[in-house]
Amino acid sequence: MIRAEKLTKKYGPIQALSEVSFQVSPGEILGFLGPNGAGKSTAIKILCSYLPPTSGHAQIDGMDILDHSLQARKSVGYLPENFQAPPELRVSEYLEFRSCLKGATRKEARRNAGYWLERLDLADRVQQPIASLSKGLKQRVGLADALLADPKALLLDEPFGGLDPLQRDDFRTLLKELARKGKAILFSSHVLPEVENLADRVHVLHQGVTQADGSLAELSRKHQANASVLLRVVSQADDLLRQLKQEQSPVHACAIHQKGNTLTIQTPSFEARKKLLPFLAECKIELEMFHLLQPTLEDLFRNLVQPKVNQ
Amino acid sequence: MRAFAALLRKEVFSLFVSPYIYLLLGTWFLLNGLFFSFILGYPAVEQDLTLFPQFLFGSGLLVWLLLPAFPPLLTLKLFAEEQRTGTLEPLLSAPIRDIAIVAAKYCAAWLFFFVFWIGVLLLFLLLEFHQAPLDWARVGGGFLGAISASSLFLATGLWASSWGGNLILAAGGGACINFLLLFLPVLFENSPGRVGALAKSLHIPNMLDRAFAVGLFDSYALLFFPIMTLLFLWLTWVRLVSRRWVP
Repeated sequence: MIRAEKLTKKYGPIQALSEVSFQVSPGEILGFLGPNGAGKSTAIKILCSYLPPTSGHAQIDGMDILDHSLQARKSVGYLPENFQAPPELRVSEYLEFRSCLKGATRKEARRNAGYWLERLDLADRVQQPIASLSKGLKQRVGLADALLADPKALLLDEPFGGLDPLQRDDFRTLLKELARKGKAILFSSHVLPEVENLADRVHVLHQGVTQADGSLAELSRKHQANASVLLRVVSQADDLLRQLKQEQSPVHACAIHQKGNTLTIQTPSFEARKKLLPFLAECKIELEMFHLLQPTLEDLFRNLVQPKVNQ
Repeated sequence: MRAFAALLRKEVFSLFVSPYIYLLLGTWFLLNGLFFSFILGYPAVEQDLTLFPQFLFGSGLLVWLLLPAFPPLLTLKLFAEEQRTGTLEPLLSAPIRDIAIVAAKYCAAWLFFFVFWIGVLLLFLLLEFHQAPLDWARVGGGFLGAISASSLFLATGLWASSWGGNLILAAGGGACINFLLLFLPVLFENSPGRVGALAKSLHIPNMLDRAFAVGLFDSYALLFFPIMTLLFLWLTWVRLVSRRWVP
Protein backbone atom coordinates (compact mmCIF):
# COMPACT_ATOMS: atom_id res chain seq x y z
CA MET A 1 0.00 0.00 0.00
CA ILE A 2 2.73 2.47 1.02
CA ARG A 3 6.07 1.65 -0.53
CA ALA A 4 9.28 3.66 -0.42
CA GLU A 5 12.37 2.60 -2.30
CA LYS A 6 15.74 4.20 -1.67
CA LEU A 7 14.22 7.59 -0.86
CA THR A 8 16.91 10.23 -0.68
CA LYS A 9 16.45 13.90 0.10
CA LYS A 10 19.11 16.59 0.18
CA TYR A 11 18.58 20.17 1.32
CA GLY A 12 21.67 21.74 -0.25
CA PRO A 13 24.61 20.08 1.46
CA ILE A 14 22.42 18.53 4.17
CA GLN A 15 21.42 14.93 3.62
CA ALA A 16 17.99 14.62 5.24
CA LEU A 17 17.28 11.09 3.96
CA SER A 18 19.66 8.54 2.60
CA GLU A 19 18.28 5.61 0.56
CA VAL A 20 15.44 4.87 2.97
CA SER A 21 13.23 1.93 1.98
CA PHE A 22 10.18 0.55 3.74
CA GLN A 23 6.66 -0.55 3.05
CA VAL A 24 3.37 -0.62 4.89
CA SER A 25 0.83 -3.27 3.92
CA PRO A 26 -2.96 -2.85 4.16
CA GLY A 27 -4.05 -3.30 7.76
CA GLU A 28 -0.58 -2.64 9.10
CA ILE A 29 0.58 0.14 11.42
CA LEU A 30 4.19 1.24 10.98
CA GLY A 31 5.75 3.46 13.63
CA PHE A 32 8.41 5.84 12.43
CA LEU A 33 10.95 6.40 15.17
CA GLY A 34 13.95 8.66 15.40
CA PRO A 35 15.35 11.64 17.28
CA ASN A 36 14.74 15.20 16.09
CA GLY A 37 16.15 15.78 12.63
CA ALA A 38 16.18 12.07 11.82
CA GLY A 39 14.24 12.63 8.60
CA LYS A 40 10.84 11.27 9.67
CA SER A 41 8.84 14.35 8.68
CA THR A 42 10.78 14.71 5.43
CA ALA A 43 9.92 11.13 4.47
CA ILE A 44 6.23 11.71 5.27
CA LYS A 45 6.16 15.00 3.34
CA ILE A 46 7.63 13.18 0.32
CA LEU A 47 5.01 10.45 0.57
CA CYS A 48 2.16 12.97 0.55
CA SER A 49 3.68 14.72 -2.49
CA TYR A 50 4.44 17.94 -0.64
CA LEU A 51 8.19 17.58 -1.19
CA PRO A 52 9.95 15.89 -4.08
CA PRO A 53 12.67 13.31 -3.33
CA THR A 54 16.17 13.98 -4.63
CA SER A 55 16.20 10.37 -5.77
CA GLY A 56 14.30 7.18 -5.13
CA HIS A 57 10.69 6.20 -5.65
CA ALA A 58 7.56 5.92 -3.59
CA GLN A 59 4.13 4.51 -4.31
CA ILE A 60 0.79 4.87 -2.61
CA ASP A 61 -1.76 2.23 -3.53
CA GLY A 62 0.37 1.32 -6.54
CA MET A 63 0.53 4.93 -7.80
CA ASP A 64 3.92 6.54 -8.13
CA ILE A 65 3.95 9.78 -6.15
CA LEU A 66 5.75 11.62 -8.96
CA ASP A 67 4.19 10.11 -12.07
CA HIS A 68 0.64 9.92 -10.69
CA SER A 69 0.79 12.49 -7.93
CA LEU A 70 -2.89 13.45 -8.03
CA GLN A 71 -4.12 9.82 -7.87
CA ALA A 72 -1.60 9.04 -5.12
CA ARG A 73 -2.84 12.05 -3.11
CA LYS A 74 -6.42 10.82 -3.48
CA SER A 75 -5.46 7.66 -1.59
CA VAL A 76 -3.74 9.49 1.26
CA GLY A 77 -4.97 11.10 4.43
CA TYR A 78 -2.25 13.32 5.83
CA LEU A 79 -1.93 14.91 9.24
CA PRO A 80 1.07 17.27 9.33
CA GLU A 81 3.09 17.91 12.45
CA ASN A 82 1.72 21.11 14.06
CA PHE A 83 -1.44 20.97 11.98
CA GLN A 84 -2.73 24.41 11.01
CA ALA A 85 -6.05 25.41 9.45
CA PRO A 86 -7.40 28.79 8.29
CA PRO A 87 -8.24 30.50 11.59
CA GLU A 88 -11.20 32.42 10.17
CA LEU A 89 -13.17 29.26 9.37
CA ARG A 90 -15.41 27.41 11.80
CA VAL A 91 -14.69 23.73 12.43
CA SER A 92 -17.58 22.46 10.30
CA GLU A 93 -16.85 24.96 7.51
CA TYR A 94 -13.26 23.83 7.39
CA LEU A 95 -14.07 20.12 7.23
CA GLU A 96 -16.76 20.67 4.59
CA PHE A 97 -14.29 22.72 2.55
CA ARG A 98 -11.64 19.99 2.84
CA SER A 99 -14.13 17.30 1.93
CA CYS A 100 -15.14 19.21 -1.23
CA LEU A 101 -11.45 19.71 -2.00
CA LYS A 102 -11.11 15.93 -1.93
CA GLY A 103 -13.90 15.53 -4.47
CA ALA A 104 -17.10 15.29 -2.42
CA THR A 105 -20.29 17.16 -3.36
CA ARG A 106 -21.48 19.74 -0.81
CA LYS A 107 -24.10 17.31 0.46
CA GLU A 108 -21.55 14.52 0.84
CA ALA A 109 -19.12 16.96 2.43
CA ARG A 110 -21.68 17.91 5.09
CA ARG A 111 -22.34 14.23 5.79
CA ASN A 112 -18.62 13.32 5.93
CA ALA A 113 -17.80 16.26 8.17
CA GLY A 114 -20.73 15.45 10.46
CA TYR A 115 -19.68 11.82 10.78
CA TRP A 116 -16.09 12.57 11.74
CA LEU A 117 -17.06 15.44 14.02
CA GLU A 118 -19.24 12.99 15.91
CA ARG A 119 -16.70 10.17 15.78
CA LEU A 120 -13.87 12.35 17.09
CA ASP A 121 -15.98 13.92 19.80
CA LEU A 122 -15.99 17.35 18.16
CA ALA A 123 -19.76 17.66 17.70
CA ASP A 124 -20.03 20.41 20.32
CA ARG A 125 -17.28 22.43 18.59
CA VAL A 126 -18.93 22.62 15.17
CA GLN A 127 -19.55 26.37 15.31
CA GLN A 128 -16.29 27.24 17.01
CA PRO A 129 -13.74 29.20 14.94
CA ILE A 130 -10.53 27.24 14.45
CA ALA A 131 -8.52 30.17 15.84
CA SER A 132 -10.10 29.59 19.25
CA LEU A 133 -9.33 25.85 19.48
CA SER A 134 -6.73 24.39 21.83
CA LYS A 135 -3.80 22.44 20.34
CA GLY A 136 -5.40 19.11 21.17
CA LEU A 137 -8.73 20.07 19.58
CA LYS A 138 -6.95 21.42 16.54
CA GLN A 139 -5.09 18.13 16.29
CA ARG A 140 -8.41 16.28 16.32
CA VAL A 141 -9.73 18.53 13.55
CA GLY A 142 -6.57 17.69 11.60
CA LEU A 143 -7.19 14.01 12.14
CA ALA A 144 -10.80 14.38 11.00
CA ASP A 145 -9.46 16.15 7.91
CA ALA A 146 -7.07 13.26 7.20
CA LEU A 147 -9.91 10.74 7.50
CA LEU A 148 -12.55 12.65 5.51
CA ALA A 149 -12.22 10.98 2.13
CA ASP A 150 -11.87 7.47 3.58
CA PRO A 151 -8.25 7.19 2.37
CA LYS A 152 -6.52 3.84 1.90
CA ALA A 153 -3.32 5.10 3.50
CA LEU A 154 -2.84 7.38 6.48
CA LEU A 155 0.31 9.44 7.01
CA LEU A 156 0.37 10.91 10.50
CA ASP A 157 3.27 13.10 11.57
CA GLU A 158 3.51 13.21 15.38
CA PRO A 159 -0.24 12.65 15.79
CA PHE A 160 -0.15 12.42 19.58
CA GLY A 161 1.19 15.95 20.08
CA GLY A 162 -1.14 18.02 22.21
CA LEU A 163 -3.52 15.17 23.04
CA ASP A 164 -4.34 14.40 26.67
CA PRO A 165 -4.10 10.77 27.91
CA LEU A 166 -7.82 10.07 27.36
CA GLN A 167 -7.70 11.48 23.86
CA ARG A 168 -4.61 9.35 23.19
CA ASP A 169 -6.49 6.23 24.27
CA ASP A 170 -9.39 7.11 21.95
CA PHE A 171 -7.03 7.91 19.16
CA ARG A 172 -5.12 4.64 19.60
CA THR A 173 -8.37 2.67 19.56
CA LEU A 174 -9.48 4.50 16.42
CA LEU A 175 -6.22 3.82 14.60
CA LYS A 176 -6.36 0.12 15.50
CA GLU A 177 -9.93 0.00 14.24
CA LEU A 178 -8.92 1.69 10.98
CA ALA A 179 -6.05 -0.77 10.56
CA ARG A 180 -8.48 -3.65 11.08
CA LYS A 181 -10.55 -2.18 8.23
CA GLY A 182 -7.50 -2.53 5.98
CA LYS A 183 -5.95 0.93 6.06
CA ALA A 184 -2.18 1.21 5.88
CA ILE A 185 -1.04 3.56 8.63
CA LEU A 186 2.33 5.22 8.94
CA PHE A 187 2.87 7.44 11.95
CA SER A 188 5.88 9.13 13.48
CA SER A 189 6.19 9.72 17.17
CA HIS A 190 8.64 10.62 19.89
CA VAL A 191 6.41 8.95 22.46
CA LEU A 192 7.99 5.50 22.63
CA PRO A 193 5.27 3.82 24.71
CA GLU A 194 2.73 4.97 22.10
CA VAL A 195 4.74 3.34 19.35
CA GLU A 196 5.21 0.23 21.47
CA ASN A 197 1.46 0.01 22.11
CA LEU A 198 0.28 0.79 18.63
CA ALA A 199 2.75 -0.19 15.93
CA ASP A 200 2.90 -3.62 14.32
CA ARG A 201 6.34 -2.72 13.05
CA VAL A 202 8.80 0.06 13.68
CA HIS A 203 11.21 1.78 11.33
CA VAL A 204 14.04 3.52 13.16
CA LEU A 205 15.70 6.44 11.41
CA HIS A 206 18.74 8.36 12.55
CA GLN A 207 20.40 11.17 10.59
CA GLY A 208 18.39 10.14 7.55
CA VAL A 209 19.63 6.55 7.60
CA THR A 210 17.56 3.46 8.42
CA GLN A 211 18.83 1.87 11.63
CA ALA A 212 16.30 -0.92 11.97
CA ASP A 213 13.02 -2.14 10.53
CA GLY A 214 10.86 -4.91 11.88
CA SER A 215 8.35 -5.95 14.45
CA LEU A 216 9.20 -5.31 18.09
CA ALA A 217 9.80 -9.04 18.62
CA GLU A 218 12.19 -9.17 15.66
CA LEU A 219 14.06 -6.11 16.80
CA SER A 220 14.26 -7.46 20.35
CA ARG A 221 15.88 -10.64 19.03
CA LYS A 222 18.25 -8.74 16.75
CA HIS A 223 19.24 -6.01 19.13
CA GLN A 224 19.02 -7.59 22.58
CA ALA A 225 22.74 -7.29 23.13
CA ASN A 226 22.30 -5.17 26.21
CA ALA A 227 19.41 -7.11 27.72
CA SER A 228 19.56 -7.51 31.47
CA VAL A 229 19.12 -10.43 33.85
CA LEU A 230 17.41 -10.02 37.20
CA LEU A 231 18.32 -12.62 39.81
CA ARG A 232 17.83 -13.10 43.53
CA VAL A 233 20.20 -15.34 45.45
CA VAL A 234 19.55 -17.08 48.77
CA SER A 235 22.83 -15.78 50.17
CA GLN A 236 26.39 -14.88 49.09
CA ALA A 237 25.22 -11.91 47.01
CA ASP A 238 28.40 -9.97 47.87
CA ASP A 239 30.60 -12.93 46.88
CA LEU A 240 28.78 -13.28 43.59
CA LEU A 241 29.12 -9.57 42.91
CA ARG A 242 32.86 -9.78 43.54
CA GLN A 243 33.28 -12.79 41.26
CA LEU A 244 31.22 -11.23 38.50
CA LYS A 245 33.37 -8.11 38.61
CA GLN A 246 36.58 -10.11 38.19
CA GLU A 247 38.21 -9.73 34.80
CA GLN A 248 38.31 -13.48 34.14
CA SER A 249 34.54 -13.76 34.69
CA PRO A 250 33.05 -15.31 31.52
CA VAL A 251 29.95 -13.13 31.78
CA HIS A 252 31.73 -9.78 31.11
CA ALA A 253 28.89 -7.82 32.72
CA CYS A 254 28.54 -4.24 31.48
CA ALA A 255 26.83 -3.06 34.63
CA ILE A 256 25.69 -4.68 37.87
CA HIS A 257 23.26 -3.18 40.37
CA GLN A 258 22.86 -4.80 43.77
CA LYS A 259 20.00 -4.28 46.19
CA GLY A 260 20.23 -6.77 49.07
CA ASN A 261 20.20 -10.22 47.57
CA THR A 262 18.84 -9.00 44.25
CA LEU A 263 21.20 -8.30 41.39
CA THR A 264 20.49 -6.78 38.00
CA ILE A 265 23.20 -7.76 35.55
CA GLN A 266 23.52 -6.12 32.18
CA THR A 267 25.37 -8.35 29.72
CA PRO A 268 27.10 -7.19 26.55
CA SER A 269 25.91 -10.07 24.33
CA PHE A 270 23.62 -13.04 24.08
CA GLU A 271 26.70 -15.33 24.27
CA ALA A 272 27.80 -13.75 27.54
CA ARG A 273 24.31 -14.19 28.97
CA LYS A 274 24.31 -17.89 28.05
CA LYS A 275 27.40 -18.36 30.21
CA LEU A 276 25.74 -16.87 33.29
CA LEU A 277 23.82 -19.94 34.49
CA PRO A 278 26.82 -22.35 34.22
CA PHE A 279 28.91 -19.73 35.99
CA LEU A 280 26.40 -19.50 38.84
CA ALA A 281 26.39 -23.31 39.10
CA GLU A 282 30.18 -23.37 39.14
CA CYS A 283 30.18 -20.82 41.95
CA LYS A 284 27.58 -22.95 43.79
CA ILE A 285 25.18 -20.03 44.09
CA GLU A 286 21.66 -20.94 45.20
CA LEU A 287 19.08 -19.02 43.18
CA GLU A 288 15.68 -17.89 44.35
CA MET A 289 14.76 -16.17 41.12
CA PHE A 290 16.21 -15.83 37.62
CA HIS A 291 14.45 -13.50 35.20
CA LEU A 292 15.52 -12.39 31.76
CA LEU A 293 14.44 -8.78 31.22
CA GLN A 294 13.31 -8.23 27.63
CA PRO A 295 14.55 -4.93 26.25
CA THR A 296 11.86 -2.29 25.86
CA LEU A 297 11.50 -0.18 22.74
CA GLU A 298 13.23 2.55 24.68
CA ASP A 299 16.25 0.25 25.29
CA LEU A 300 16.31 -0.67 21.62
CA PHE A 301 16.00 2.95 20.59
CA ARG A 302 18.89 3.90 22.88
CA ASN A 303 21.01 1.03 21.51
CA LEU A 304 20.36 2.06 17.95
CA VAL A 305 20.61 5.80 18.26
CA GLN A 306 22.61 6.74 21.33
CA PRO A 307 26.05 5.41 20.31
CA LYS A 308 25.83 7.47 17.15
CA VAL A 309 24.68 10.54 19.07
CA ASN A 310 27.68 10.12 21.39
CA GLN A 311 30.05 9.69 18.45
CA MET B 1 -13.98 21.40 -10.81
CA ARG B 2 -15.48 20.66 -7.37
CA ALA B 3 -12.12 21.26 -5.77
CA PHE B 4 -11.72 24.53 -7.71
CA ALA B 5 -15.17 25.72 -6.67
CA ALA B 6 -14.53 24.74 -3.04
CA LEU B 7 -11.22 26.58 -2.94
CA LEU B 8 -12.70 29.64 -4.68
CA ARG B 9 -15.54 29.81 -2.13
CA LYS B 10 -13.09 29.46 0.73
CA GLU B 11 -10.71 32.11 -0.64
CA VAL B 12 -13.51 34.62 -1.28
CA PHE B 13 -14.87 33.98 2.22
CA SER B 14 -11.41 34.35 3.79
CA LEU B 15 -10.89 37.67 1.99
CA PHE B 16 -14.32 38.99 2.94
CA VAL B 17 -13.88 38.26 6.65
CA SER B 18 -10.35 39.64 6.92
CA PRO B 19 -10.13 42.99 8.80
CA TYR B 20 -6.89 43.72 6.95
CA ILE B 21 -8.72 43.64 3.63
CA TYR B 22 -11.30 46.13 4.91
CA LEU B 23 -8.50 48.44 5.98
CA LEU B 24 -7.12 48.14 2.45
CA LEU B 25 -10.54 48.77 0.95
CA GLY B 26 -11.09 51.82 3.17
CA THR B 27 -7.72 53.28 2.18
CA TRP B 28 -8.48 52.64 -1.49
CA PHE B 29 -11.84 54.41 -1.27
CA LEU B 30 -10.38 57.31 0.65
CA LEU B 31 -7.48 57.86 -1.77
CA ASN B 32 -9.73 57.43 -4.79
CA GLY B 33 -12.17 59.95 -3.35
CA LEU B 34 -9.32 62.40 -2.86
CA PHE B 35 -7.98 61.90 -6.39
CA PHE B 36 -11.52 62.17 -7.71
CA SER B 37 -12.19 65.53 -6.08
CA PHE B 38 -8.66 66.69 -6.92
CA ILE B 39 -9.10 65.92 -10.63
CA LEU B 40 -12.55 67.52 -10.65
CA GLY B 41 -10.77 70.73 -9.64
CA TYR B 42 -8.48 70.72 -12.70
CA PRO B 43 -9.25 73.77 -14.90
CA ALA B 44 -9.42 71.59 -18.04
CA VAL B 45 -11.88 69.22 -16.39
CA GLU B 46 -13.95 72.10 -15.01
CA GLN B 47 -14.33 73.38 -18.57
CA ASP B 48 -15.00 69.99 -20.17
CA LEU B 49 -16.12 67.20 -17.84
CA THR B 50 -15.94 64.61 -20.64
CA LEU B 51 -12.15 64.75 -20.18
CA PHE B 52 -12.50 63.56 -16.59
CA PRO B 53 -12.15 59.77 -17.25
CA GLN B 54 -8.97 60.40 -19.21
CA PHE B 55 -7.39 62.27 -16.30
CA LEU B 56 -8.52 59.68 -13.77
CA PHE B 57 -7.81 56.45 -15.66
CA GLY B 58 -5.17 57.64 -18.09
CA SER B 59 -2.45 59.64 -16.44
CA GLY B 60 -3.44 60.28 -12.85
CA LEU B 61 -2.09 59.02 -9.57
CA LEU B 62 -4.58 56.15 -9.77
CA VAL B 63 -2.52 54.64 -12.57
CA TRP B 64 0.91 55.58 -11.30
CA LEU B 65 0.43 54.84 -7.62
CA LEU B 66 -2.69 52.96 -6.55
CA LEU B 67 -3.02 50.52 -9.43
CA PRO B 68 0.47 49.01 -9.08
CA ALA B 69 0.59 49.18 -5.27
CA PHE B 70 -2.76 47.77 -4.13
CA PRO B 71 -3.07 44.39 -5.89
CA PRO B 72 0.07 42.91 -4.27
CA LEU B 73 -1.24 44.03 -0.86
CA LEU B 74 -4.29 41.90 -1.56
CA THR B 75 -2.56 38.88 -3.10
CA LEU B 76 0.04 38.56 -0.35
CA LYS B 77 -2.61 36.71 1.65
CA LEU B 78 -3.08 34.05 -0.98
CA PHE B 79 0.19 32.12 -0.93
CA ALA B 80 2.70 33.95 1.30
CA GLU B 81 0.32 34.21 4.27
CA GLU B 82 -0.71 30.56 3.82
CA GLN B 83 2.91 29.45 3.79
CA ARG B 84 3.71 31.61 6.83
CA THR B 85 0.84 30.20 8.86
CA GLY B 86 1.42 26.60 7.72
CA THR B 87 -1.92 26.10 5.94
CA LEU B 88 -0.28 25.71 2.52
CA GLU B 89 0.99 22.21 3.37
CA PRO B 90 -2.47 20.63 3.80
CA LEU B 91 -3.62 22.42 0.65
CA LEU B 92 -0.76 21.21 -1.54
CA SER B 93 -1.06 17.65 -0.25
CA ALA B 94 -4.79 17.56 -1.09
CA PRO B 95 -5.89 15.95 -4.37
CA ILE B 96 -6.32 19.20 -6.29
CA ARG B 97 -4.44 20.19 -9.44
CA ASP B 98 -1.91 22.99 -9.07
CA ILE B 99 -3.52 24.87 -11.94
CA ALA B 100 -6.85 24.78 -10.07
CA ILE B 101 -5.16 26.22 -6.96
CA VAL B 102 -3.67 29.10 -8.97
CA ALA B 103 -6.94 29.71 -10.83
CA ALA B 104 -9.10 29.65 -7.68
CA LYS B 105 -6.83 32.01 -5.78
CA TYR B 106 -6.56 34.37 -8.73
CA CYS B 107 -10.31 34.40 -9.34
CA ALA B 108 -10.95 35.13 -5.66
CA ALA B 109 -8.52 38.06 -5.73
CA TRP B 110 -10.02 39.31 -8.99
CA LEU B 111 -13.59 39.15 -7.66
CA PHE B 112 -12.55 41.02 -4.55
CA PHE B 113 -10.67 43.66 -6.52
CA PHE B 114 -13.78 44.14 -8.59
CA VAL B 115 -15.41 45.36 -5.37
CA PHE B 116 -12.65 47.97 -5.17
CA TRP B 117 -13.69 49.25 -8.61
CA ILE B 118 -17.38 49.26 -7.75
CA GLY B 119 -16.50 51.94 -5.17
CA VAL B 120 -15.00 54.09 -7.92
CA LEU B 121 -18.03 53.44 -10.15
CA LEU B 122 -20.25 54.76 -7.35
CA LEU B 123 -18.38 58.07 -7.52
CA PHE B 124 -19.23 58.33 -11.23
CA LEU B 125 -22.86 57.48 -10.50
CA LEU B 126 -22.82 60.28 -7.94
CA LEU B 127 -21.68 62.70 -10.66
CA GLU B 128 -24.40 61.38 -12.95
CA PHE B 129 -26.90 61.93 -10.16
CA HIS B 130 -25.81 65.55 -10.08
CA GLN B 131 -26.43 65.68 -13.82
CA ALA B 132 -22.79 66.09 -14.78
CA PRO B 133 -22.27 65.74 -18.55
CA LEU B 134 -20.23 62.51 -18.55
CA ASP B 135 -19.08 60.67 -21.64
CA TRP B 136 -20.01 57.11 -20.66
CA ALA B 137 -18.06 55.59 -23.55
CA ARG B 138 -14.90 57.09 -22.08
CA VAL B 139 -15.93 56.09 -18.56
CA GLY B 140 -16.56 52.51 -19.72
CA GLY B 141 -13.28 52.43 -21.64
CA GLY B 142 -11.44 53.82 -18.63
CA PHE B 143 -12.93 51.16 -16.39
CA LEU B 144 -12.10 48.43 -18.88
CA GLY B 145 -8.49 49.64 -19.01
CA ALA B 146 -8.25 49.91 -15.24
CA ILE B 147 -9.73 46.45 -14.73
CA SER B 148 -7.43 44.99 -17.40
CA ALA B 149 -4.40 46.57 -15.77
CA SER B 150 -5.47 45.45 -12.30
CA SER B 151 -5.95 41.90 -13.66
CA LEU B 152 -2.31 41.97 -14.77
CA PHE B 153 -1.10 43.49 -11.49
CA LEU B 154 -3.04 40.90 -9.48
CA ALA B 155 -1.30 38.16 -11.48
CA THR B 156 2.13 39.65 -10.78
CA GLY B 157 1.14 39.97 -7.11
CA LEU B 158 0.07 36.33 -7.02
CA TRP B 159 3.38 35.29 -8.53
CA ALA B 160 5.30 37.32 -5.93
CA SER B 161 3.12 35.80 -3.20
CA SER B 162 4.16 32.31 -4.33
CA TRP B 163 7.85 33.02 -3.73
CA GLY B 164 7.73 32.14 -0.03
CA GLY B 165 6.32 32.94 3.38
CA ASN B 166 7.71 36.47 3.65
CA LEU B 167 4.81 38.95 3.47
CA ILE B 168 7.06 41.97 2.89
CA LEU B 169 8.76 40.20 0.00
CA ALA B 170 5.39 39.19 -1.42
CA ALA B 171 3.93 42.72 -1.28
CA GLY B 172 7.18 44.55 -2.06
CA GLY B 173 8.18 42.15 -4.83
CA GLY B 174 4.78 42.37 -6.49
CA ALA B 175 4.72 46.17 -6.27
CA CYS B 176 8.27 46.38 -7.66
CA ILE B 177 7.36 44.27 -10.70
CA ASN B 178 4.28 46.42 -11.28
CA PHE B 179 6.21 49.69 -11.03
CA LEU B 180 8.87 48.28 -13.37
CA LEU B 181 6.17 47.28 -15.85
CA LEU B 182 4.90 50.87 -15.73
CA PHE B 183 8.15 52.82 -15.61
CA LEU B 184 10.64 50.83 -17.70
CA PRO B 185 8.80 51.41 -21.00
CA VAL B 186 8.55 55.13 -20.15
CA LEU B 187 12.31 55.26 -19.50
CA PHE B 188 13.25 53.44 -22.69
CA GLU B 189 10.55 54.58 -25.14
CA ASN B 190 12.89 57.07 -26.79
CA SER B 191 15.80 54.62 -27.05
CA PRO B 192 16.93 53.84 -30.58
CA GLY B 193 16.35 50.53 -32.29
CA ARG B 194 14.65 47.46 -30.86
CA VAL B 195 14.81 48.60 -27.23
CA GLY B 196 12.73 51.64 -28.03
CA ALA B 197 10.31 49.61 -30.15
CA LEU B 198 9.93 47.04 -27.38
CA ALA B 199 9.39 49.78 -24.79
CA LYS B 200 6.64 51.29 -26.95
CA SER B 201 4.93 47.95 -27.38
CA LEU B 202 4.92 47.38 -23.60
CA HIS B 203 3.90 50.95 -22.74
CA ILE B 204 1.02 50.41 -20.27
CA PRO B 205 0.40 54.13 -19.49
CA ASN B 206 0.06 54.85 -23.23
CA MET B 207 -2.44 52.02 -23.62
CA LEU B 208 -4.49 53.30 -20.71
CA ASP B 209 -4.23 56.98 -21.62
CA ARG B 210 -4.50 56.90 -25.42
CA ALA B 211 -6.74 53.90 -25.94
CA PHE B 212 -8.96 52.84 -23.05
CA ALA B 213 -9.44 56.22 -21.32
CA VAL B 214 -10.53 57.95 -24.54
CA GLY B 215 -13.03 55.19 -25.28
CA LEU B 216 -10.96 53.70 -28.09
CA PHE B 217 -10.91 49.92 -28.27
CA ASP B 218 -7.43 49.12 -29.49
CA SER B 219 -7.15 45.40 -30.25
CA TYR B 220 -3.45 45.34 -29.31
CA ALA B 221 -4.21 46.82 -25.88
CA LEU B 222 -7.19 44.52 -25.49
CA LEU B 223 -4.97 41.47 -26.08
CA PHE B 224 -1.88 42.74 -24.29
CA PHE B 225 -3.31 42.61 -20.77
CA PRO B 226 -4.86 39.11 -20.92
CA ILE B 227 -1.68 37.68 -22.47
CA MET B 228 0.56 39.30 -19.85
CA THR B 229 -1.86 38.18 -17.13
CA LEU B 230 -1.69 34.58 -18.37
CA LEU B 231 2.11 34.81 -18.48
CA PHE B 232 2.31 35.72 -14.79
CA LEU B 233 -0.31 33.13 -13.84
CA TRP B 234 1.77 30.55 -15.71
CA LEU B 235 4.85 31.69 -13.75
CA THR B 236 2.88 31.22 -10.52
CA TRP B 237 1.88 27.72 -11.62
CA VAL B 238 5.51 26.94 -12.50
CA ARG B 239 6.57 28.11 -9.05
CA LEU B 240 3.96 25.88 -7.45
CA VAL B 241 4.72 22.74 -9.45
CA SER B 242 8.45 23.26 -9.06
CA ARG B 243 8.00 22.76 -5.29
CA ARG B 244 6.55 19.36 -6.05
CA TRP B 245 8.87 18.28 -8.86
CA VAL B 246 12.24 19.96 -8.55
CA PRO B 247 14.36 18.01 -6.04
